[in-house]
Amino acid sequence: MMSEDNNEVILNIQGLNLWYGEKQALFDVDMPVRRNEITALIGPSGCGKSTLLRCLNRMNDLVEGCRIEGTVEYGGVNIFAPDADINGLRKRIGMIFQKPNPFPMSIRDNITFGPRLHGIEKKKELEQIVERTLRQAALWEEVRDRLGSNALALSGGQQQSLCIARALSVNPDIILMDEPTSALDPIATAKIEELCVELKKDYTVVMVTHNMQQAMRISDMTGFMYMGKMVEHDRTDVIFHSASQEATRRYVSGLFG
Amino acid sequence: MFTNQNGRGTKARADSDKVVRYLLMAAASASVLILLAILVFITNNSLLALKSTDLLGFLTGNVWKPSEGLYGAGNIILGTLLVTLGSLVFAVPVGIGSAIFMAEVSNAKVRRILKPLVELFAGIPSVVYGFFGLMVLVPALAGLFPEQMPTGFAWLTGSILLGFMALPTIISVAEDALKAVPGTYREASLAVGATRWETTSKVIVPAAISGIASAVILGIGRAVGETMAVMMVTGNSALVPEPLWNVFSFVRTITATLALEMPEVVVGSTHYSALFLLGLVLMLIVLVINLCAKQVVRNVNRKMQGANGRSFLRRILGKKDAKRFKRGFSVIATLAVAYMVCSLFLDQAMALALSVVLASVLILVQMFLKRITRSSRQKLMHSATFLCAGLCVIVLSVLLGDIIIKAVPALSWNFLTGYPVDAGKSGGIYPAIVGTLEIIIGTAAIALPLGILSGTYLAEYSKGGRFAQVLEQAIDVLNGTPSIVFALFGVSAIVAILGLGVSLLSGCITLAFMILPVIIRTTEDAIGNVPLQVREASYALGANKWQTTFKIVLPAALGGIMTGAILGLGRAAGETAPVMFTAAVLMRYSVGFNLLEPVMVLPYHLYYLATEGSADPSMQYATALVLLAIVLAMFLVANVVREYSNKKNKW
Ligand SMILES: Nc1ncnc2c1ncn2[C@@H]1O[C@H](COP(=O)(O)OP(=O)(O)O)[C@@H](O)[C@H]1O
Ligand SMILES: [Mg+2]
Repeated sequence: MMSEDNNEVILNIQGLNLWYGEKQALFDVDMPVRRNEITALIGPSGCGKSTLLRCLNRMNDLVEGCRIEGTVEYGGVNIFAPDADINGLRKRIGMIFQKPNPFPMSIRDNITFGPRLHGIEKKKELEQIVERTLRQAALWEEVRDRLGSNALALSGGQQQSLCIARALSVNPDIILMDEPTSALDPIATAKIEELCVELKKDYTVVMVTHNMQQAMRISDMTGFMYMGKMVEHDRTDVIFHSASQEATRRYVSGLFG
Repeated sequence: MFTNQNGRGTKARADSDKVVRYLLMAAASASVLILLAILVFITNNSLLALKSTDLLGFLTGNVWKPSEGLYGAGNIILGTLLVTLGSLVFAVPVGIGSAIFMAEVSNAKVRRILKPLVELFAGIPSVVYGFFGLMVLVPALAGLFPEQMPTGFAWLTGSILLGFMALPTIISVAEDALKAVPGTYREASLAVGATRWETTSKVIVPAAISGIASAVILGIGRAVGETMAVMMVTGNSALVPEPLWNVFSFVRTITATLALEMPEVVVGSTHYSALFLLGLVLMLIVLVINLCAKQVVRNVNRKMQGANGRSFLRRILGKKDAKRFKRGFSVIATLAVAYMVCSLFLDQAMALALSVVLASVLILVQMFLKRITRSSRQKLMHSATFLCAGLCVIVLSVLLGDIIIKAVPALSWNFLTGYPVDAGKSGGIYPAIVGTLEIIIGTAAIALPLGILSGTYLAEYSKGGRFAQVLEQAIDVLNGTPSIVFALFGVSAIVAILGLGVSLLSGCITLAFMILPVIIRTTEDAIGNVPLQVREASYALGANKWQTTFKIVLPAALGGIMTGAILGLGRAAGETAPVMFTAAVLMRYSVGFNLLEPVMVLPYHLYYLATEGSADPSMQYATALVLLAIVLAMFLVANVVREYSNKKNKW
C-alpha cells in the first residue's frame, strides 16, 4: 500500500465551493486523486458526493444556476479556466452513471459513437476499439455475435458493462463512477467491482458509493463527506479502522446515515 | 358476507357502478356515431355527382366548370397538394430548428417566454392569418416580384401563410418529443466528449425522431385542411402552374372551392353533390396522410430499436458506391432546385448558366462546412436554430403589431356597442361580438359534458378493450378532419335534415363536434396525471369506482381539463368555415339569445369586410383586433387556470 502514495497526483481538487442558485452544496473541498488508484467517496445521501464528482468533468455546466469557485487541476491546468476545452476534458475524464444509460442504438454504435466524434473513421480501427473495450469490460464473449442488436435489450448488468466499454472507447485517463452498482443485483455488482479493480491497472477511478463494504473491498483511498464538506480523506484502511474524526468513525460503524 | 353496517349494501353500490359505466360508455360512443354520421352523409350526398362523371374523370379531369356541368377536380386536388408542399419547404426546417432551439439550446428563462408565444401563435384564428396575408403579405410580395406576380395573389403567398400556420404545430409537437428524450442520454453523450450540438444532432434528435415525424405530419394535416387563409390569398383559379414549379401562379385548393361555392349552390343539385365528393376526397387525403404517419412512426421506432443500422442503399450498392451515389444525388438535386428557381426569373440559357454557378457555390459552402472545427460548427448550428426561433417571434410580432397599430383609429365605444351601418361600412360590431360569445357558450354547453364524460370513460373505465380501440381510432380521425368537412356535415345534416336551419344551435352543434376530440384528449391527459396513490387512498376508505372517479379523480384533474377546454373553445371562437354555413348571417339588427335564430359572428364579419365589403381598412383592422382580443383573453384565462391548478396540485 505504501508505494502507492508515491503515485503522482493526477487530479487536484482545491478549495472547491459550489452553489445551486442560492444554496451552497460544496464547502471548501480539497482532495488529491492519485494515478492508478481507486478513490471512493462515501457519505449520507444528499451530502454532495454526486455534485463533487460531476464537477470533475464539468457535468454541472448543464445545471442552470450552478456556480463554482476553486480549482481542479488536471494535467497542470485548471479545468474551470475560461479557455479550457470542455469536450477534450470530458474525453479524458469519462463517466459512468448510476442508472445504466446506453443510447437507443446498436451495441456497436454505442461504442463507436465517441471515437467517431473524435475523428476516427476507419472501419477496421473502429472494430478494434469495439473488441478491445468490450473485452476490457468483460462483455465481449457475451455479445460478440450480436453487436448489431439494440443495446436496450441487454440486462441491467450488461448495460452497465457496455456503458463502461463506451467510456473506455475514447481512451480516458480517469473514470468517474456515480454509484455504478446501485441499480444492479448482487451478481452483476460483484462483476462490476471486479472490473473496477481490473481497470485500475490502466486508469484512475473515482467512485461514489453508498455501500461501505464496496468502498472497503475495492478502493485505495476514501473520502468521507458530510453536508457538503470533505470531513476526512485518507487511505481506505485508515478511514474504516482508525479514522481521526469522530463523525467518520460514527458513519463507518453505521451509527448514522 | 360483508354487509355494510350503514345499511347501504355493497350490492347496490356495485349496481350503481355498473349504471355509471354504461352512461359513460354511451357518452363515449358519441364520437364513433359522429364520425359514422359524417361519413354517411358526405358519401351519400356525393353519390349523385358520380352519375354525371365517373370517379376517375373526377379525380383527373382538369376542367372545373359547374355552370357547364364539367366536374374535373384534378387541378384543384393538385393545387391543394402544391400549396401544402410549398408550405412545408420552409415550415419543416424552421419548425424543427425552433424546436431544437427551445429544447436544447436556449435556457429556461427564454423557454418560459417562447412556450406561451408558440401557443399564442397556434391560437390565432385562420381568418386573421388570412386577413394579415391580404393586408401585408399580398402587397409585399407584389412589390417584391412585380413582374412575376403583379397581383400578389399566388401559390407562393398561400404557401408562406400556410407555413406560418403550420409552424406552431410543428414546433410544439417536436419540442415535446425532444424534451421527452431522457436526460441520461444527453449526459452520456457529453461524457464521452461530444459537443452539445453533436449530442443534439446525433443522439437527441435520432432518439426523438418518431415524435418529430409526427410533428411534421400533423403540420401537413393542418396545412391540407386549412380553408380561410388559403382562400384569401391564392387567387383561386384552378390552373396548373406553368412550369409546374411556378410558385407565382394562381392556384385553387379543395377547401377554397368548398368555401367559395357552397354558399351559392342549389341544394340537391349535381354541383352540390360534386362539392361533397370533393369534401370526401379531402377527408381521404387527410386520412391517408395520418395513416402514413402512423406507419412511418412505427417503422422509425422499429429501426431505432432494430438490428442493423445499414440503410437500403448501402445494402444494394456497398458502402463506397452508396457514398458516391449520395454525393452525386445531392449535386444533381442542388442543381435542379437552383435551375427551377432561376427559370422563374430568366430565360432558359441564362437560368441554366446561373443555376450552375449557384449550385457550385452551394456545394463549395457545404464542403467548407465539413471542414470547420467542432466548436465552430456548434456555434454555427446554434445560431441557425436561434434564427429559426427568431423568425417565428418576428412574424408573430409583425402580425400582432400591424393589427394593433392599424386598429386603433377605428376603435371606439361606439364601434364596440353599435350596430353595423351600411353593410358594415360604418357603425359598430356589437351583434358580432355578442354572437361570437353566444357561439362560445353554446359550444361549451354541448362539447364539455360530452367530451369530459368520454374522456373519463377512456381514462378510467375502458381498459383498452376492443371498443376502446375503435373509440381511439374514431377520435383520431375526427381530430384530423378539416373544419370545412364539419361545415359540409353541418349544412347537410344539422341545418337541412335535422331542420334546425341556419341558426345559433346548428353552429354550436357543428363546432362542438369539431372540438370534441380536443376535449376528450385533454380530459384523458389530465386524468392520467392524477397519481395512482390518490385513487388508492380513496379505495382504501371503501369508496367504489364511480365515487372515486367523480369525487376524487375528476376534481383533481379539473384544472387540466379546464385549461384544455378553454383553449379548444378559443379555437372554436375563431373558426370561420363551419359557422359561415351553419349559423352566420351578414347583418343582425337586434341581439338576444335565441337558439333557433342565426347570429353575426366576428370571424365571418371580418372575412366579409376584408373580401367583399368596402369598409375602411381601419374598421377591418379593428374587427380583427376584437376577434384576436377575445381569443387572447381565453388563452390568458387558460394559462391562469393552468398556473393555479399546477400550484394547487403539486403531486
Ligand atoms: N441540479 C440541482 N439543483 C439544485 N440542487 C441540487 C441539484 N443537484 C443536487 N442538489 C442538491 O445538492 C445537494 C447535494 O446533492 P448530491 O450531490 O446529489 O448528493 P449525493 O450524491 O451525495 O446524494 C443536495 O442537497 C441536493 O438537493
Ligand atoms: Mg448521488
